[in-house]
Amino acid sequence: MVKVKVVERPPADLVVQSWLPELWKGMKVSGRHFFVNLLTQKGIVTSQYPEVKRAYPPRFRGKHRLMRREDGSVRCVACFMCSTACPADCISIVAGQRDDENEKFPVTFEVDFIKCVFCGMCEEACPCDAIRLDSGVHRAPAYTRKEELNGKEDLLSLGSLSVARQGGEFK
Amino acid sequence: MPTLTIDGREITVEPGTRIIEAADRLGIDIPRFCYHPGLPVAGNCRMCLVDTNRSPKPVASCWDPCQDGHVVVTNSPRVLEARRAVLEYILLNHPVDCPICDQAGECDLQDLYFAHDHQPSRHPFHKHHKDKARVLGPQIIYDAERCINCTRCIRVCEEVAKAPQLVQVQRGERAYIDVFPGTQLDHPYSMCTADVCPVGALTTRDFRFKCRAWLTHGIQTVCGECSRGCGIRADVYRNAVQRLVPRHNPDVNQYWACDAGRLAYHRFETGRVSAVRIGGAAADYAKGVRDVAEALPGADARGVVVVLTPWMTCEDVGAVVAAVRSAAPGATFAVGGAAPGIQDDILVRADKNPNRNGVAKVLADLGVTPVALDAVLSQAPSLGALIVCGAEQAKAEALAGALAAVPLSIVLAALEGPLTAAARFVFPTTSPYEADGTWVNESGVTQRVRRAVEPVGDAKGFEVWASDLADRLGTPLAARDRAIGGNP
Ligand code: SF4
Ligand code: SF4
Ligand code: SF4
Ligand code: SF4
Ligand code: FES
Repeated sequence: MVKVKVVERPPADLVVQSWLPELWKGMKVSGRHFFVNLLTQKGIVTSQYPEVKRAYPPRFRGKHRLMRREDGSVRCVACFMCSTACPADCISIVAGQRDDENEKFPVTFEVDFIKCVFCGMCEEACPCDAIRLDSGVHRAPAYTRKEELNGKEDLLSLGSLSVARQGGEFK
Repeated sequence: MPTLTIDGREITVEPGTRIIEAADRLGIDIPRFCYHPGLPVAGNCRMCLVDTNRSPKPVASCWDPCQDGHVVVTNSPRVLEARRAVLEYILLNHPVDCPICDQAGECDLQDLYFAHDHQPSRHPFHKHHKDKARVLGPQIIYDAERCINCTRCIRVCEEVAKAPQLVQVQRGERAYIDVFPGTQLDHPYSMCTADVCPVGALTTRDFRFKCRAWLTHGIQTVCGECSRGCGIRADVYRNAVQRLVPRHNPDVNQYWACDAGRLAYHRFETGRVSAVRIGGAAADYAKGVRDVAEALPGADARGVVVVLTPWMTCEDVGAVVAAVRSAAPGATFAVGGAAPGIQDDILVRADKNPNRNGVAKVLADLGVTPVALDAVLSQAPSLGALIVCGAEQAKAEALAGALAAVPLSIVLAALEGPLTAAARFVFPTTSPYEADGTWVNESGVTQRVRRAVEPVGDAKGFEVWASDLADRLGTPLAARDRAIGGNP
């Protein structure tokens, strides 16, 4: 059997019903902070974003960026590993042929930020160090769904050089 | 009749049966590259080695015929070591560029490597490089590095397509597949070479780089491009057909299908009717059905003619006949269809309609004697209503003229064309990849057509339209009416 303990409500007398003592207690706390902050500015935890930004932890996952090779071309080989790994199914790639030994490249590469959950699975899955979430840039809110679709150019504009090699010493 | 034992299980087979076939029948998996059940045996890859009591060394099970008293072991340590060694040898110069290889996910070499080799390369030198994207023909692109020289593709050309266009040149690690100078791989079954290729050496231009094999799901359906009705699998990703590949059906097409049939789905990617139109203006589907239900009974006095198409499923025909008859009991039916085309001795049939047999059977079951299409065309101006089903009509121009002449003209079609331009009522119907139902091929084999992708816009099957029309008319189709259509 569950024991039931009946708690009596305190009687709502006139003092309680008037709200005044409790109101006074609350105003005292707010007032204390107000004047302490106004006069000493110590202990303010709010930061003046966006003028002042807090340092992000090194593993912060922001907007995706596509990395480049030494010749400036995109490292991505359109293998679809990222879109396969993506739990939100938000990466769309159209692959094309390039004439060097890399053979394949993304003609279009689109990440739908409205669906993305910034889990980083795409980054983990990529065999080419082509996609990273280390841009440090937040996904910005937008007015339309279309603005949330970030194409290859957007992602490349955040990208930089990567010279990672696959598979050890032999190229 | 030799009786042999494979991994302790006994089987009796016809003389001449190869060990690998007997093992397949028992469900015992022997890895293989060059052996293909639909092709003559080559025995060149050595992947299928097994131990027997008749030979001091492992033998190729795809080559050796079963003998009475044979004791075959497919998983002895010696066999496993042989497989590992064969794989290591095949992979010596293999590029292993699986991330950009279209075969990845359905690659025998990948699968067998993980099952039997699974070690890093011990080859300390640079790999031998060969051509990466060599165009062999209008449909096929060849990657010489990935080729394991199993010669399946050569045998498909020689034995299936009867067009020996491929040849192996050079020897050893330099060997590769090529066409003869000045020629190309362009026979009507060239895409079958990519199907049989166990690795990513041969890719079709159609599917190359388009999608990854593991992202698609396959729907088993039937090709409609000719009356052979080859079994095909539609591979779908994000509600779009990515490719069609033949599926094994020993009664119809064995393992093969023609290139034209496999590229046919592109016909339905553009030019689709997607919304109901009345007098050229877009309209609501329900309003279209209601207007037809109101107008059709009045047209019966002057005559209602329905031109069916052998692209409809049996169920479609049964439902359309029942619905139209309940509105216009005197309606007559004609069978149109696509114009005949080329025929060969392999698969392709001259009749470019998949269900002529099925339509005839359903009409016979329903007691309908179809009238000749030419008779319909000549009496068109005096008709009360003309309903044309399907855009695949050889006499489309003449039918369009007839539609323009009758007071109540209705077209149900998947594709825009002269018919949809001429009719007052236009209803969108499903493409063969959006349809569900039954087709009967030229030799009487009844096959199931399955919906692979969702219909575009307001497109509905003929059967759905007919059933909605019958509901509107207050005479809902009995389950029996459909059952007749469903079981010709
Ligand atoms: S971060 Fe996660 S959800 Fe976003 S694209 Fe990558 S895998 Fe998909
Ligand atoms: S970003 Fe990486 S995982 Fe994604 S397609 Fe490109 S190479 Fe493949
Ligand atoms: S043929 Fe197979 S093993 Fe070779 S690269 Fe392609 S998927 Fe990988
Ligand atoms: S191209 Fe494919 S089917 Fe032809 S020999 Fe090479 S691996 Fe075999
Ligand atoms: S499958 Fe037997 S040798 Fe190739």
